[in-house]
Amino acid sequence: MGKKLVVIGGVAAGTKAAAKAKREHPDWEVTVLEKGKDISYAGCGLPYYIGDVIKERKEVVVKTPAELKAWLGIDVLTEHEALKVDTAAKEVTVLDKKTGQTKIFPYDKLIFATGAEPFVPPVPGIDLPQVYTVREVADADAIRERLDKGLVRRAVVVGGGFIGLEVAENLVLRGVQTTLVELLDQVLPGFDPELAILVQKHLEEHGLTVITGDKITSFVADESGNLKAAITPTREIPCDLAVWATGVRPNTRLAAEAGVELGPTKAIKVNEYMETNIPDVYAVGDCAENVQLITGKPAWIPMGSTANKMGRVAALNLDGGADKDALRGVVGTTVVKLFDIKAGKTGLSESMARKEGYDVESVLVPAHDRAHYYPGSHLILVKLIADKASHRVLGGQVVGEGVIDKPIDVLATAITLGAKVEDLAKLDLAYAPPFSTAMPPVVTAANVLLNKLTGRLNGIKPQELKARLDAGEGDLEIVDVRKDEEVLLGKIPGAKHIVLDEIEARADEIDRNKEVVLVCKVGLRGYLAALKLKAKGFPRVTVLEGGMTAWPYATE
Amino acid sequence: MAEKYVNARGLQCPGPIVQLFQAAKEAQAGDILVVEATDGGFKKDVVAWCKKTGNELLSLEDDAGVLRARIKKA
Repeated sequence: MGKKLVVIGGVAAGTKAAAKAKREHPDWEVTVLEKGKDISYAGCGLPYYIGDVIKERKEVVVKTPAELKAWLGIDVLTEHEALKVDTAAKEVTVLDKKTGQTKIFPYDKLIFATGAEPFVPPVPGIDLPQVYTVREVADADAIRERLDKGLVRRAVVVGGGFIGLEVAENLVLRGVQTTLVELLDQVLPGFDPELAILVQKHLEEHGLTVITGDKITSFVADESGNLKAAITPTREIPCDLAVWATGVRPNTRLAAEAGVELGPTKAIKVNEYMETNIPDVYAVGDCAENVQLITGKPAWIPMGSTANKMGRVAALNLDGGADKDALRGVVGTTVVKLFDIKAGKTGLSESMARKEGYDVESVLVPAHDRAHYYPGSHLILVKLIADKASHRVLGGQVVGEGVIDKPIDVLATAITLGAKVEDLAKLDLAYAPPFSTAMPPVVTAANVLLNKLTGRLNGIKPQELKARLDAGEGDLEIVDVRKDEEVLLGKIPGAKHIVLDEIEARADEIDRNKEVVLVCKVGLRGYLAALKLKAKGFPRVTVLEGGMTAWPYATE
Repeated sequence: MAEKYVNARGLQCPGPIVQLFQAAKEAQAGDILVVEATDGGFKKDVVAWCKKTGNELLSLEDDAGVLRARIKKA
């Protein structure tokens, strides 16, 4: 007789672990307990279901219990909530929500896959019926129904992370006047501000109102008890629907009560084999902790992509054999599409890297995603972050309307394998005009970063230049070297205009005692101008990184 | 009133805008300029250019990666 495996939680990691375990051990009895009505659903697809990009509920529900039983021989019990785990007696007490009965499930091996749940603070009015979170299919069903009935004219989305932004995008696409409120000074926490602000501008151009650095303190209702407005310390935002999306927390109560150890991130502590501190008890998916591969420190990065891998690893290690499978950690790769813009990141952001104590060098480089003459070519903006001393690549971020997931995946792979900037610059990547450029974005960015690391190039980021201009610093001479026709479309206020072709002849118009900041469209002509001025003995020349492409502020 | 075709396909920014600038200089008021470009940056540039110069952007379409702008010279 085979062993009994009980899996608590049946969304991504739980169903993956159960399926793999049954394939490995056909004689085992595998039971999945899910407290909700749906299993194996695509939680990440819910914003698009709200937006009617996904038309029907069945498209986001990947598998049903009947299918899992017929295909894989797994018993999936929905509306079965695990109430208590006794790790000494090795049994789980379960409430059958349909009958109200309590049942006992004995196990030989137990896997926690209890997921995460939205963080909902006790804000007054948050329990109004028109204030939602988006985690389960039922949440999306309810929001869709309101939209379909024409009950939503104005909406507020709280939280500028992936889910909040994706929900906001889909509400705008459904014609709802939508305001997004984010506590931090930027959307996309985790991204560096140079890239996040470009995404924010794009959202605003597509009709989303974005408020950063503000906080919802309450929701208020009209006399019939329906949501009327969201309130912040500085404003009142009228709305008839609100979505609270300020992040999720690991669901660990059941495990903690059973004596399972939590890590410093408050998620369940597991080793690389997904084993907890208690024998025969494993944890996978959003309820469990990971290791950030670059720092080697515990991290909680709940992603569907990681959850599936963890489920598989746990399943392979259940029999305790010598050839265990392991997940050493994750680099933290994410990607999002909002209207026409896409943003991806992998590894550490510059601010995270500094917080971790790295001496960081970074660069912003716009590059074409495919040959500039091939229809559909776009400039994308690449940020590359490396350790100054070792040149090890620490992170990368890419934003743009073109292909950005390819450079992100190349960077994720390189970072996982411990690449240096020099390695990136020499990668042999796929090239033909419809796909990429002869010097692909990652290679170009690596070369520009090497120019910085070796002192060939001095760069300044748009945010730093703006701050210094705002501070009224008089030691700056900004020179725009683009053509007349480009400058007509807008230049940095106060910038001198000397086209690159004339920079040497007109060098005496530039104050050589000041720090000269050279500006062009992407940075290349600025670099060329910098070399020419250096050759003429200018002591301090700097190039605006990313050029006007990455300049998000006002122009004249 | 004439319609003039400007082929700015294959040009990197600022090529398309420079071409448009030249064509607009030579055109008469009321003439229609049809500009085709393959550089994605042209989308924003042409909108900004029309705003700045007062020429009228009649339409801007993305035909499988070929951006086609129809502009009426003011």
